[in-house]
Amino acid sequence: MTAYTERAAGSPVADFLSEHAQVLSIAVFFFACLIFFSVTTDTFLTLGNILNVIRQAAPILVVAVAMTLVIITGGIDLSVGSQVALVNAVAAMILAMGYPWPVVVVGMLAFGALLGMAQGWFVAYQGIPAFIVTLAGLSILRGFALYLTQGYSIPIKDVPGFFAIGRGELLSIPVPALIALGVALLGYGVIAYTKYGRQVVAVGSNLEAARRVGMPSKWVVASVYMVSGIASALAGLLIAARLGSGSSNAAVGFELQVIAAVVLGGTSLMGGRGSILGTMLGTLTIAVIGNGLILMHISPFFTQIVTGAIILVAIWLNTKIFTTNFRFGGKKVRG
Amino acid sequence: MMTEGQHLSAVAGTGGGNLPRQPKDGVSRQPRVSLRDIRKNFGSHQALRGVDLDIYPGECLGLVGDNAAGKSTLTKIISGTYIPDGGSIAIDGQEVRLNGPADARKRNIEMVFQDLSLCDHIDVVGNLFLGRELTKGPFLDRPRMVAEARSMLDALEIRIPRLGAKVEKLSGGQRQAIAIARAASFNPKVLIMDEPTSALAVAEVEAVLSLINRVKARGVSVILITHRLQDLFRACDRIAVMYEGTKVAERDIGNTDLQDLVQLIVGGQKH
Repeated sequence: MTAYTERAAGSPVADFLSEHAQVLSIAVFFFACLIFFSVTTDTFLTLGNILNVIRQAAPILVVAVAMTLVIITGGIDLSVGSQVALVNAVAAMILAMGYPWPVVVVGMLAFGALLGMAQGWFVAYQGIPAFIVTLAGLSILRGFALYLTQGYSIPIKDVPGFFAIGRGELLSIPVPALIALGVALLGYGVIAYTKYGRQVVAVGSNLEAARRVGMPSKWVVASVYMVSGIASALAGLLIAARLGSGSSNAAVGFELQVIAAVVLGGTSLMGGRGSILGTMLGTLTIAVIGNGLILMHISPFFTQIVTGAIILVAIWLNTKIFTTNFRFGGKKVRG
Repeated sequence: MMTEGQHLSAVAGTGGGNLPRQPKDGVSRQPRVSLRDIRKNFGSHQALRGVDLDIYPGECLGLVGDNAAGKSTLTKIISGTYIPDGGSIAIDGQEVRLNGPADARKRNIEMVFQDLSLCDHIDVVGNLFLGRELTKGPFLDRPRMVAEARSMLDALEIRIPRLGAKVEKLSGGQRQAIAIARAASFNPKVLIMDEPTSALAVAEVEAVLSLINRVKARGVSVILITHRLQDLFRACDRIAVMYEGTKVAERDIGNTDLQDLVQLIVGGQKH
């Protein structure tokens, strides 16, 4: 291993395949699901159903993009579902007080940033594992949502501008889907082309190395939780606008769907490696499976089992079959 | 090039007698980096127990010692990675307090870490420019980085065919070469190399030694940690021997030999 061995330059196709194996495999799996449900049900491949799927997948995609950043740094954010619920409920309450909706939207995004930043501070500056901080956040924030609403659903009335965010259509494409697509493109651009994205990957790949080359590593770690907070707030608003109400029981189990989508897309829980394109495909795959199983008239209780099993198998295949991306030994240095 | 104060000064160079360990005055030449009574504890473990060391411009100082003698800790203090518990650091005569690696980097102190400190998931170009990415606004200026990376590697005669390859795909030697290129290419004033040749083959070791001699000629101060004692005689002007968190000896390269060094390292005899 000592010499600079002069390898024969590999074919670009092989390089491409090995570098994008994870995304390619989820793409294949996604299209397999599409074909399967198209064949087995009459209604799956109708325009109405497709639009419905992407409308429902939109909040998941928004948060999954942010979660991809979090997981690339080697962290995790379990509190996103509770953040969505809290923002969802608080937004409905403030709208009910009669504040103009654009103010509420901006205010809620800032509120989400604050919630995320608070958790990020504990993770980055106090060195508490992200799993613990955000597990506590999951409980605390859901608790606040329940306490504020006393468990009731709060209706949102007569705010057509706000409803347009969740129900509107532009060129017959649902607005939430367009917003989610915009977020995904933004996320892709940030990771691939910006200095901040480079810092996120560096921190996740080797935190100590990032610190040694003078990157603001703690700030970068904290900031991804802020991004996740903003994204959760946006998702909370999308859901509130679609359902026309705010509820502390919104988005239960949301964090698991989001994390599953990200991991299904080939982002490594060990940090350092992630793909927004993979996350998009992962999100759509989960949405399609959920939708398709319902259309096949399989018991909704059974749907959870199938979804979980499919995710497990897909990720298993991802890590075992595409061994080119197999990691030897964790060399993460926590400092 | 030797001139005297009250003491023989510890000048880098060819001749000279046995060196006093603490040249107190900078009459002849000012040290680039001057460490005084550096102490560092990790919990109850005394990693460094008061180390004095001077490094002059244009010299290569070899730092040798047994495992856990404190070599890496000392160099990490110079590079700002560790903050010392006690003692003082002066750079070009100015006393400074390095508050982190970024601070040291700003003062043109560069280090090749023993663990290389590369990000496996980032490509070769990204690692070479890690922490000082060329940007256009918030965006990475990739074409310019690729062009400059190519010329950086060419200047060091490092052959890496695909600059877009992730570093995890490269061999140990290539990885080490990238870490060296990263430290050596941005006009360092002080270049610290912790075991830079451990994964390198003969030809590459030669390249590193000639690199050291080239940057020395430009006035860079080099600190070289290595267990390959024969390399020290090829590149270093002076050798400091550490033992159990202290500096036990300092030798001009002309006044020592392999036998002497080995004895100093393992014997732990105080001088």
